[in-house]
Amino acid sequence: MMLAMGESGLRKVYPVLESLAALIAGIIGGFIVSAVLGYDPFASISLILLSGFGNIEYLLSISVPLTLSALAFIVPLRAGLFNIGVEGQAYVGALAAVYVSSLTGFPLPIILAPLAGALIGFLIGVLRVYRGVNEVVSSIMLNWTLFYTVSFTISRYLRDPVIVHQSVRVDRMLSALEALLIALAITIAVHTILYRTTLGYYIRVMGSSPEALKYSGSSESRVTLTAMSLGGVLGGLAGALQVYTVSGFIDVTMSAVFGIGFMGIAAGLIGRATAVGALPASILISALIIGGHKLELVLGAPPELADVMIGVMMLALSAPYALRLLSSKVLG
Amino acid sequence: MGWKAISRSLAALIIAALVVLGAIAFIAYRQVQAPTETVTAPGKVRVAVLFDVGGRGDLSFNDMAALGAEKAKRDLGVEVEYNTPKSLAHMVPLLEELSRGGKYDLLILVGFLWVDALNKTADKFPKQKYALIDASTGVRRDNVAEFVFKEQEGAAVVGVLAAGMAREVQRELGESGPIKVGAVAGMSIPPLWRFHIGYLFGVKYFEKKTGERVEFYWTYTGKFDDPALGYSAAWTFLGQGVKVLYGLAGLTHVGMFNAVIDWNERGGGRALAIGQDASQEWFNPKYIPLSGSKRVDVAAYKAIEMVVKGAWRGGLVVLGYAEGGVGVWDLEGVKYFAQIAYETGQLKGLTPDDIVRIVKDARGKYVKSDVEAIAKELEGLIVTGKIVFKEPASEEEYLSIIRELEKGNLNAALAKGSIG
Repeated sequence: MMLAMGESGLRKVYPVLESLAALIAGIIGGFIVSAVLGYDPFASISLILLSGFGNIEYLLSISVPLTLSALAFIVPLRAGLFNIGVEGQAYVGALAAVYVSSLTGFPLPIILAPLAGALIGFLIGVLRVYRGVNEVVSSIMLNWTLFYTVSFTISRYLRDPVIVHQSVRVDRMLSALEALLIALAITIAVHTILYRTTLGYYIRVMGSSPEALKYSGSSESRVTLTAMSLGGVLGGLAGALQVYTVSGFIDVTMSAVFGIGFMGIAAGLIGRATAVGALPASILISALIIGGHKLELVLGAPPELADVMIGVMMLALSAPYALRLLSSKVLG
Repeated sequence: MGWKAISRSLAALIIAALVVLGAIAFIAYRQVQAPTETVTAPGKVRVAVLFDVGGRGDLSFNDMAALGAEKAKRDLGVEVEYNTPKSLAHMVPLLEELSRGGKYDLLILVGFLWVDALNKTADKFPKQKYALIDASTGVRRDNVAEFVFKEQEGAAVVGVLAAGMAREVQRELGESGPIKVGAVAGMSIPPLWRFHIGYLFGVKYFEKKTGERVEFYWTYTGKFDDPALGYSAAWTFLGQGVKVLYGLAGLTHVGMFNAVIDWNERGGGRALAIGQDASQEWFNPKYIPLSGSKRVDVAAYKAIEMVVKGAWRGGLVVLGYAEGGVGVWDLEGVKYFAQIAYETGQLKGLTPDDIVRIVKDARGKYVKSDVEAIAKELEGLIVTGKIVFKEPASEEEYLSIIRELEKGNLNAALAKGSIG
């Protein structure tokens, strides 16, 4: 079917092919790693690749917050901005969800949490536009500030009276299907914003040439603030969904939310910074993580083996787009 | 159109390669899954140990759980598999999946982080047995055994030894005046209340038996994961002349260890530290000659034993001194943890045998025979059940027990028996 396509059709599937080739490279890389470390490479690679798909509900519920986190990274990236702050935005989103849920109940937490995230995104944008602070630096610092602020707030004000290391539970959980529908709707919305609105147009113009943006009738500061806030909305939602579909609470060590923002960066790169790529990339990463659990159980390997293999595979998968991004930044 | 042809064949190649890889992976996957179902001899008990987030290599709870399970593997002939959840978010789905699979006769859950996941899962799978270690859900279920420890009993013996060690340090320095011992604790939660009561009880027991006055210092840092806080709390106590500090604050008391080491090595004077839970002597055997034990390994072993011997019983299982659940680490235990520390490159040039030798010397030097006799006597009272400690149900009850103990009323801490 694909071979019957014309040249333009081939150009369209080319990125997909490139990602598939990267997947092959990743599988081979993972194979080599486990062989070098002394574990049956056939067994470990097959477990890590396939066993994650054994429980679709588990897979989807983990994938959905990750998808949102990937989208939160993608939108500012298309404007040439690195939103490392997704992590912190997810923290405040999760906190807002837990707090609002303790006051009212579904669906208000899911609606308000993105605003909390947006506030953080906006703040990072303001720092960049008006004080010239690089968004990467401010985000990394804010991530840790928010980590401890949220942890403190949980242990001080929102503690579960019985299980003292965690917050009160949210009022209900979303099923994997409900979460998937939300993720699909948001994906379509983000895709539409990027390709069918003036804002999306400005974002993409700024990403490819900030100079050209001036001539197209917008300003860099306005687009920066909007794109960062939009990223914050999605990051906040990622945190809220993590609580509403996966954990049900935040714990004082932040283990329930930690890492979702950083993982979203990988998912965003693997999905080649496209809205439609975010969900498949997130499902793939989630499957690898779930499958990684099995390595220890079945093969008796230390959990680090899975970590290394997943790392190699994610590196290979995100390499094509990351390299392109780097070369375009360096070469202008 | 050379470009087009090349791209097409490249595309075909990539797809073909993926299909082949997928097929290989699938076949390998089937093979990995298959033997686990056929190899298992019927009647052989299968156990999965689910670690806390962080897993092996913590030189504490997780390593101890593995120690107990490995012992059961050897002695009881069970099959044991391990799993480390990636984060708290994976605990519920992981536990559900393993319970649904029905492959394991027993799932051992290490640590309090599992409480929530267990609450959500246990009722859905009434035939699956669970053992929760060092935590309680507060709900009694027939398929859940909850192992908790009598911290007072171990801490009481540690208290006697701590006072005796502080006395020797003071003699070594040629100081007079009351003996001073202390502890750096984490948060004010029930297990720490029990430690406090036991430790103070032991100190007062020493005072009563020897007639030597002991001053007692206790502080809650409020955190289990802040070494800097532990360092400053310990430094304050050392400045006040405390000679022995008991670490009851997880990672926070690693800071206390460092303060004690600095106090000795930077010329401030002489002081000793005592570890808790796992044997922590390896951290610095010269200045940490002793560790109180909380035997997660014993709990894990007992849980497996209950299944193997068909003696399963849901509900609370309390492990005290008599059951080997708490106490003081012997040199064998010291060596075991020194070995793990050695393998993970944390011994700074020493071997596990060096650690054991140094600890043995330090114990010989600071734990005199009269003190050892007092500790043995107290141990005897506890093990034979002649004295039984109270379980404080509320913070007020705990504090009132502490107030009475400070006045020297040892019996205020006891539910049964008395100290004459």
